[in-house]
Amino acid sequence: MAALLSLRAIGKSYGAVVALSAIDLDIDAGDVVGLCGDNGAGKSTLIRIISGALPPSAGEMRLDGRPVAFASPAAALESGVATIYQDLALAPRLAVYQNIFMGAEHLRRFGFLRLLDKRRMRAESAHFLARLNVDLPDVDRPVSDLSGGQRQAVAICRALRWNARLVVMDEPTAALGVRETRQVLDLIRELHAQGVTILIVSHNMDDLVAVTNRVVLLKNGRKIGECRTAAATADDLAHMIASGVVP
Amino acid sequence: MRTGLLIAATAAVLALAPDAHAMKLGIVAFQMSSETHARVANAAEAAAKQKGWEVTLLNSRGAMPEHAAQLENLISAKVDAILVAMGKPVETDAQLAQAKSAGIRVLTVMSGTSPHTLFDIQVNEYEVGAQAALYLLGQLNYQGGVLLSRFEGNVGTRIRGKVLDAVLSENTAVKILDSHGMARTASWRDDVKAGMSALLLKHQGKIDGIWASFDGQAFVIDDVLQGMGLAKGKLPLVSVDGGQEASARIRDKTSLMTATVAIPFERMGTAAVDALDRIVVQKKPKDDIVHGPYLFMGAVLVDASNVPAEGKWPW
Amino acid sequence: MNRLSEAATRAFIARYGTALGAVAVFVFFAAAAQNFLTPGNLAVVLKQISYIAILGIGFALALTAAELDLSFANVTSLAAVATGTLVHGGKPWGLAVLAGLAIGLAFGLLNGLVVTRLKVPSLIATLAVASIANGFAFMITGGVSIVGRWNPDFVFLGRGVVLGLPILVLWTAAAAALALFFLKQTRTGLHLTFTGEAEDAARLAGIATRRMKLLGLGLSGAAAGATAILLTASLSSAAPTSAGDFLLTAIAAVLLGMTMIEPGRPNVTGTLIGALIIGMLGNGLVLLGAPYYVQDIVLGIIIVASVSVSASTLTKAAFHV
Repeated sequence: MAALLSLRAIGKSYGAVVALSAIDLDIDAGDVVGLCGDNGAGKSTLIRIISGALPPSAGEMRLDGRPVAFASPAAALESGVATIYQDLALAPRLAVYQNIFMGAEHLRRFGFLRLLDKRRMRAESAHFLARLNVDLPDVDRPVSDLSGGQRQAVAICRALRWNARLVVMDEPTAALGVRETRQVLDLIRELHAQGVTILIVSHNMDDLVAVTNRVVLLKNGRKIGECRTAAATADDLAHMIASGVVP
Repeated sequence: MRTGLLIAATAAVLALAPDAHAMKLGIVAFQMSSETHARVANAAEAAAKQKGWEVTLLNSRGAMPEHAAQLENLISAKVDAILVAMGKPVETDAQLAQAKSAGIRVLTVMSGTSPHTLFDIQVNEYEVGAQAALYLLGQLNYQGGVLLSRFEGNVGTRIRGKVLDAVLSENTAVKILDSHGMARTASWRDDVKAGMSALLLKHQGKIDGIWASFDGQAFVIDDVLQGMGLAKGKLPLVSVDGGQEASARIRDKTSLMTATVAIPFERMGTAAVDALDRIVVQKKPKDDIVHGPYLFMGAVLVDASNVPAEGKWPW
Repeated sequence: MNRLSEAATRAFIARYGTALGAVAVFVFFAAAAQNFLTPGNLAVVLKQISYIAILGIGFALALTAAELDLSFANVTSLAAVATGTLVHGGKPWGLAVLAGLAIGLAFGLLNGLVVTRLKVPSLIATLAVASIANGFAFMITGGVSIVGRWNPDFVFLGRGVVLGLPILVLWTAAAAALALFFLKQTRTGLHLTFTGEAEDAARLAGIATRRMKLLGLGLSGAAAGATAILLTASLSSAAPTSAGDFLLTAIAAVLLGMTMIEPGRPNVTGTLIGALIIGMLGNGLVLLGAPYYVQDIVLGIIIVASVSVSASTLTKAAFHV
């Protein structure tokens, strides 16, 4: 069976500067994969290529075995690849349910007009939040009222709304406190339990060890190896990144 | 903070709130930022206050909808009379009719007439324009080249320009070298300065006289000419309006300002208040003051021979 | 419990504080100015605010997409002289009305294209377009106002009375209802809001943000065209500077509106209440006999006070490139 997402020899260079070269990566359906490396290792370049924000300069990307080339993040979203950005890309002053359905609103017929189906969007929002075990009774509240963990939940609900098969999360626990980090890790486990495939980029080895099945390590724009997290500790990962050697 | 501001504004309004019973006069000036409008309105306000009247002075800021709205507000305020300076009776026909049916007497100054108003106090702009044009031609001995500084955005200045054209069409030895049409902007002085400076340079040596559609333009041109080192008497510079600054420049040994046709704006303001006093307070018939829709007042040509001393008027 | 009710009170004041201020202004003038409360005078106030209310709604729609439209007053004047010229020339008044609307919409779209295609910030772009509109208005008229006794059907659009109410009040209510419906019930309206609230997020979610900005500025232009028709009909005249004075007052209405209902955001209901406050002050101050400069001072204070409460969105829009 083909992997859900498979990258072959993906590279990105800006003139003479090589940001990424010869990356091979396979992510199976239902897997939770981590991506780690130092600053400048090429993590965010790779993420942007997968999310459709940046075209690769070399290599091939396949989704479900079919070659794909995303023209924009919106195009990637339509193919089932949803990216949750570090700043979460929410509209803080608008309601939770509006954010969840941003750009993909439900409509209802009203005579010859098609109007926003707010009742349905509110109900489905509550349903998505319940699926993630998030207690947020009022989906009409503005996102600015929410905690960091709750905002992350809203962003994940958006991916659920799109029926995303692959959710890419960029530094989901950065800038969060201990309790909120734990909440977000719980969200990721919940998402995984529902069969969603997840790719997480993070600096935080502890978090990666806690939620992923395996981790892909990058250094200086190259993939130095993969490591199953069941058998590794955060210190092991940090050591591999520092030394550039994956046993 | 917000509440504080609101209280302050409230207090200011209350302090200004007047007592009842006195004759209530509303004065609407079409554009207080225009000096001539302000001269009429301020003189009328002073005259009315001297009579012990209650005066509300309003400024339409040159905008028709505001002008109409202020008339409506004064009608609501049940004033006894309204004085309109440089207004637009045709455009505000509906409001003036409303005032008439509410028993409010409306008198206008330099606005034009309306079936709903008492009469209009005017100088005859055609005559004013002809005085200025003929004076300039006389200075040139009816030959030579002139530069014009025009303004088409105002009825009065436009009429003066048209009358000048008519006068020139009968006196073909005087040629228009060039003319600058002033743009209607807040920085019109810069526009006149830039436009006329360019024309003065372009026609250097061939200019025998300069005509400006109103004194404000002439002052700017005067400054440009002085900056070019020209001395008094070198070129006649003629315009229209009259006022303390125009008189001062005509007296000034370094200014090139030669003559203006002085329109008695202050006198029109006080005459309006006097007329309202007789008609509204003393209940005299309107025909005691004037027959017909216009009360014409004379404009005076002012040059070095009759220029009044500082603070004095030529009438 | 006590803290909860305190927070609720604060939230209530944030939402309705300025609306309560409007009630206070009303009560004050009702008590202080003897003719304020007459039905005739209240109708006058409602009629007078209709222009700035409709223009304000247009400005608020552009600002919803985080774009400033500083051209609406001059565009209104231009559309007014064009409409006036056609009616005055004896053309069918329906044609004149269409021409006024079309000119407003065209200049609004021109603003939108300059902003979205040429990437000129709207603060600059709309000032430039304002100058262009002003130039055309003078080109058509040569500075002379167009005045006349016009077709009574056309004049009715601005001066008529329907169901006992001045027709201008009904037009304003219709414009407000339409704008509210568009913003709150349609997908495009929500996308316009997303574009202004979080442009990057909206684009990432597949919303055509540039088209939304074009739409916001286009609607502001259309509001200017509609206002021009009402203004021309109601004054039975048109001048190239007819609407210049509305620039500040309509923006002030929107800014006042941003201090209430949806605090910090341009909104239709707030704009109506803001226009009402400005209208009541203009009328009430005259009834009290206050001289003209007091009105200017009060208007200035209102603008400063309301911007100090709701500045963030406006500065974001003003300096957004």
